Amino acid sequence: QNNNVVLIGRVIDERTKDPLPGAVIHILGTTHQVVADNNGEFNFITGQRVPLTYEVSFTGYKTKNVDIKSYGHVDIQLEESNKALGDLLIVGYGTQRKSDLTGSVATVSKNLLTQPSSSFDNLLQGAVSGVSVTQSSGQPGSTATIRVRGGNSISFGNAPLYVIDGFIVYNDNDYVNSGATSGAAVNALSTINPSDIETVEVLKDASATAIYGSRGANGVVIITTRRGKKGTNEVNYSTYIGSQAVSKKIPLMNASQWASLINDVNVSDGVAKTYTDAQITAAGTGSDWQSSALRKALEQNHELSISGGDEKSRYLISGNYFDQEGVIVNSGFKRYAGRINYERNVSDRLKVTVNAFGSASKQTELPGSTYGSINFSNYYSTLLTTSPIVPIYNADGSFYVKSPYLTTPTNPLQDIEATTNQSNIVRTLGNFAAEYKLLKDLTLKETIGADLLYTKQNYYAPSYTSAGYASSGVASIGTVTATTWVNENTLTYDHSFRDVHFLTVLGGYTTQAEKDEEAVTNAQKFPNDLTGYNNLGYAGTPVLGTSGGHTSVLNSYLGRVSYSYRHVYNVTVSGRADGASVLGANHKWGFFPSLGLSWNASEEPFFRSLKNTVSNLKLRLTGGQTGNSAVPPYSSLAVLGASNYYFNSTLVTGTAPTQLANPNLKWETTTQYDLGVDVGFLNNRVNFVADAYYKKTTDLLLNVPLPLYTGYASELENVGSVNNKGLEFSLRTDNIRSRSFSWTSNLNFATNRNRILNLGQGVSSYFPLAPTGQVSPVIVAVGLPVGAFWGYSTQGLLTAADLAKGVPTLAGVPQRQGDTKYVDYNGDGKITTADKHYLGSAQPKYTYGFSSTFTYKGFDLSFLFQGAYGNKIFNLLQQTLERPTLSQNVSAVLVNRWSATNPNGTVARATDSPVPQVTDRYIENGSYLKLKNLSLGYTLDRSVAAKIHAKQLRVYVSAQNLWTITRYSGYDPEANFYDGDNTKAGIDYGIYPPTRTFLGGLSVTF
Amino acid sequence: CNKLSENPNSEIVSSQFYKTSSDAVAAVTAVYSTLNSDPAGDFPIYGRNLNLLIENASDNQVYSPSNTNPDVRALGTETYVSSNDRVHKTWQQHYYGISRANVAIDNIPQIPLTQFADTTLRPRLVREAKFIRALLYFNLVRMFGPVPLVLHDPATVNVNALKIPRSSVDSIYAQIINDLNDATQLPAIYTGANIGRATSGAAHALLAKVYVTRRDWTDALSEIDTVTNSGLYGLFPNFRDAFQKATKNGIEHIFSVQFESNLGAVNSEQFLSLSFASFNTSVWPADVPADSSVSQLFSNADTRKVVTFYTTQYNAATGQTVVFQNAYTPYLNKFVDYSLSPLSNQSKSGLNYPVIRYAEILLLKAEVLNELQGPTGSAYTAINQVRERAGIGDLSTGLTQAAFRDSVFLERRKEFIQEGQRWFDLARRGGTYLFDAVTTIAAKQVANGGGAAVKDTLFPIPLTEIQLNSLLTQNAGW
Repeated sequence: QNNNVVLIGRVIDERTKDPLPGAVIHILGTTHQVVADNNGEFNFITGQRVPLTYEVSFTGYKTKNVDIKSYGHVDIQLEESNKALGDLLIVGYGTQRKSDLTGSVATVSKNLLTQPSSSFDNLLQGAVSGVSVTQSSGQPGSTATIRVRGGNSISFGNAPLYVIDGFIVYNDNDYVNSGATSGAAVNALSTINPSDIETVEVLKDASATAIYGSRGANGVVIITTRRGKKGTNEVNYSTYIGSQAVSKKIPLMNASQWASLINDVNVSDGVAKTYTDAQITAAGTGSDWQSSALRKALEQNHELSISGGDEKSRYLISGNYFDQEGVIVNSGFKRYAGRINYERNVSDRLKVTVNAFGSASKQTELPGSTYGSINFSNYYSTLLTTSPIVPIYNADGSFYVKSPYLTTPTNPLQDIEATTNQSNIVRTLGNFAAEYKLLKDLTLKETIGADLLYTKQNYYAPSYTSAGYASSGVASIGTVTATTWVNENTLTYDHSFRDVHFLTVLGGYTTQAEKDEEAVTNAQKFPNDLTGYNNLGYAGTPVLGTSGGHTSVLNSYLGRVSYSYRHVYNVTVSGRADGASVLGANHKWGFFPSLGLSWNASEEPFFRSLKNTVSNLKLRLTGGQTGNSAVPPYSSLAVLGASNYYFNSTLVTGTAPTQLANPNLKWETTTQYDLGVDVGFLNNRVNFVADAYYKKTTDLLLNVPLPLYTGYASELENVGSVNNKGLEFSLRTDNIRSRSFSWTSNLNFATNRNRILNLGQGVSSYFPLAPTGQVSPVIVAVGLPVGAFWGYSTQGLLTAADLAKGVPTLAGVPQRQGDTKYVDYNGDGKITTADKHYLGSAQPKYTYGFSSTFTYKGFDLSFLFQGAYGNKIFNLLQQTLERPTLSQNVSAVLVNRWSATNPNGTVARATDSPVPQVTDRYIENGSYLKLKNLSLGYTLDRSVAAKIHAKQLRVYVSAQNLWTITRYSGYDPEANFYDGDNTKAGIDYGIYPPTRTFLGGLSVTF
Repeated sequence: CNKLSENPNSEIVSSQFYKTSSDAVAAVTAVYSTLNSDPAGDFPIYGRNLNLLIENASDNQVYSPSNTNPDVRALGTETYVSSNDRVHKTWQQHYYGISRANVAIDNIPQIPLTQFADTTLRPRLVREAKFIRALLYFNLVRMFGPVPLVLHDPATVNVNALKIPRSSVDSIYAQIINDLNDATQLPAIYTGANIGRATSGAAHALLAKVYVTRRDWTDALSEIDTVTNSGLYGLFPNFRDAFQKATKNGIEHIFSVQFESNLGAVNSEQFLSLSFASFNTSVWPADVPADSSVSQLFSNADTRKVVTFYTTQYNAATGQTVVFQNAYTPYLNKFVDYSLSPLSNQSKSGLNYPVIRYAEILLLKAEVLNELQGPTGSAYTAINQVRERAGIGDLSTGLTQAAFRDSVFLERRKEFIQEGQRWFDLARRGGTYLFDAVTTIAAKQVANGGGAAVKDTLFPIPLTEIQLNSLLTQNAGW
């Protein structure tokens, strides 16, 4: 013992001089190593004698060898690896050196991941080139539509695959929706606490995604959650609290404007005017229904995490409470989440890992209505169309329910406040893995995981609301349980031959089973509204319940061979064979191969002279196929359905075929080619990545229309094709890096062109189903992109001269002076539906994002701009608001309507309920630029923090959606009422309005 | 390792079905259900959908201002085109029902007779399906002329293999008559749980209507006589009883589509009850009489007038009688279900839709006798039974054959407003009857530009059908 000496020192960051807890100090030539403590300090008690050499390593830093010649305290400075070539990236079923990578993989910057957000899919917005994220509405907890390199499919599954700590989650919002509630879909991803996330990578091309085979076609988002670091024990508490408000309102008529509109309609109808001039003046501004349901809403998040680790184990325990009130009353989202990540090296050969989280979320949702399976308006839009002349409240503060314009004695604001419409989601996702080194280079990995989702939905419309009035209260409760089990078995051989040939071979078998069961019970006619949905036993009338269940299975063989010669020439070959139960008996299995090549030109000897300027140059060329089988279970079977009739006034169940069998139902296949270049300048302080890709998707899963005389409307078949081609650029720069000031920025830009090549024999176009009474504003047509708007062109208003000349007018409608003048597009002298034509696409021509972070001493400032250019929006809400009737309020633009007394009016004259046509007037430019996020933070000096025994303390203020530039007249250019429905993208049917949020936050680490 | 084959628990697949007598019964129930419901929740055939084509496209009805559906409006103004969504939907719903009838007719005879406790059940079920197939083809051939004659469930999903041309009107009628002749073997009456099914009398009555449409007066008379001589049918003394929940499936109802205000049902709303929706006088029903000329057809003594139209409603909640007075009143009343409380709860209407009432048999009899023998005493007796029940006395005697014919058609119009007869009647008379009648209505005349003909008394074949099947031709003028 007396022989032992003490070696002491500290590991710090070369630039910031911050300690690096968890850095590993290893005495070369021995097995002896220690880990730096919370202050970066370490000490060895060792029998070794100087001189000796430390090998000091730390994740994210370059490993450094330090020669030690004396026994004194030593400060060891590590340099950030700055995406050094040796970095490992997580790829499907393993990791790969970044230098050896052939595929197109983008990493979301850490800064963006730390922004406050209810759900992590929102964090991808503007973060990565080629990934377009549309936040469909401002409803807390609502879904976002995510597309990687455009949409491949027309009918099914364009969302990317998520892999969370190795567990595959295909986000299916149906798994959290029983149908008991009404309104927009709940976002299953919002059940996950975004603060748990450490890294997000997006796999974009076939070389990267083919290992996910049939689910890789739409890109793969790989999420890794935080875990403890060796040699530390940290407690972190973070919080933010903020206030949200609606960022925009739509100009509507006030009461006196509306009264005079009604008089104009009366004139048009040839009947007596409703209001006298005195009454019009007296009406004044009237009720502001639009604002009546709005509030300043609170958003808060609290998060406590404890993490750490020692030589053999790493752990992280976190808990999260998130509560976002909606800016519309009686709406909001709450989440309670907890996570445990634990890793232990049981022996030198065996490592076990558990990643588990559980969450309970509650979304209180703004109700909407549906037609068939199609969403049809929402309760907030109803407020917009409520006449301003109708009071909101009685003098005593109770709701005014005597509107002469409603079919029931109810009040639309009261409907919003009184209707119960909530989803409670409990999710548990656990993944257990064991890695065993069979040989030095051969590792067996066994994984078993389960994703358990339980959803309970409650709906109650009291007897005094419009939905509950006729039935004296309507209750509906529903549950969904969805379970996904995954078992993965992989064998990885990883060997380098004389440090020249690097070979990794991966093989595996996986199997996955999904099962969902749902049930909905309804009841009506309650003697009172006291128990609401909680006691259906009080109901006087039971309603037929519904239930259902599905199971599906996916079995897969997967393999990948990566070979690198001196990290200069790299080849990756991967493939996956998937067998899916949901497909037809003749085509259960599909095989999806890929080949990727890359060349690190900057590592060639001839490049050495350039290396000071161009520090990295890599060329990538990949090609491969991926698949999509995201059809519902039983789609290939001859399924019968119930259809009922009454005999002797009694319900009798009938049964008849609803679907023809298609045993040939098979995969949608996307063939993708990608050519990419990665360039690093000035020691990789400037990084530029460019990719060009071409994708063609064939055997589209389409509901092919059958002649209706067959008794079937359509059949799911594999026909037709779509292509996507595009360019992506991203530029990451480390502009300034000095002791006290740093500035980094990240710019990305992408363009994608989508085109339908074929829709099957004899079909050149079809119109997606629209609710009864509405004309479909979109067409699915060969030669056009998916989401193409279709309607009339207009040319101002009809003048007396036009009519005298006999210009064509809309067939079937007696058009007069001051009516909309339609363009005879095909020149046949008539205005018929044949004059409708392509009016632009909902798909943007370009998408882009720009973020930057500045730090000065303890201050940090960051912002994110994000936008899209060239997309169109069908403003269905505005169309509705420009349709005068004798009962609904309208847009303020109708103040400038044409009339005999206002002959220069630019808006069509007031008539009684004109037929709403889809015209270019409502196809608006949806281009926008948003300042999504601006935040300013201050990190207390370490010495100050230490006074409260904290290692780190940061406070910040942040603003979200601070500023938007757009010419779009609706609430939000991201409006996407039909959400994930590819064919109905970019339709704004009155969304939950978007919000602007100001918040302040604090993060303290002990 | 999980198996890839699918064995659904929540769905029935066809290989499991059509094995037992209850499967057979369920298959036929599903055929009936196509009359009162639409799988997508749309208006059913026997409900507002047929009404839109047969009444709104005639001189009886038009849309009200609250209706902004361009396709519905186009039917009201006779400006519809072959892509009209309502025409398309009506075509689809008819073939949907025909397909289910075909499935039943093909599959039920394959079920061993030993499965049936009552061996008469198996042929009866097939005949019921044939009755409905005939009813739907009869509608189709009258609306569209020659149509594809599909008599079996498609065995393939190959669109090309499914392409067939239109069959001649004669061959379609031959099939209809065949099916109905078979259906005349159905029971004359049902009791208990089977009330509402197609009867022998319904088959004879429908045959009579088919023969009248074909101007086969002799065969028509023989079918009419079979119905009248059966002793099973008569007129309700009170016209209102033809449209009341309490008197459904009564003596006058030969065949009705069944509706029930049972809230447990899905997709079985006829939507015509929404002629009254609210005590709020600012709220319009979706469809209204074409203009005031329609209600003026009725004398005030005509007891049908207050059953057919309303201008006031009594609000039990307030004790007040609400008066509806505007350019679109009186509103239509036949399908308003007065058994409901509150009365505004009309989406829950339980009123049946009468497809054939005994009143029609009497009017057909008057028409047929007039065609065969001129306005004989028996012809007068037949029409006068209907008039007397309405309280308007006998038709003036001494009419010419042509004047008597006009009187019968006028009586039909007044008797059957909202019952899906008017366009058929006008088209059936041929010549310019349809055009002339429709252009008496101001709203329709303006839209017609004073000249555009009501094309050839046939609706257009839906555009998408022609696009999918190059063998289909369009009706003349469309």
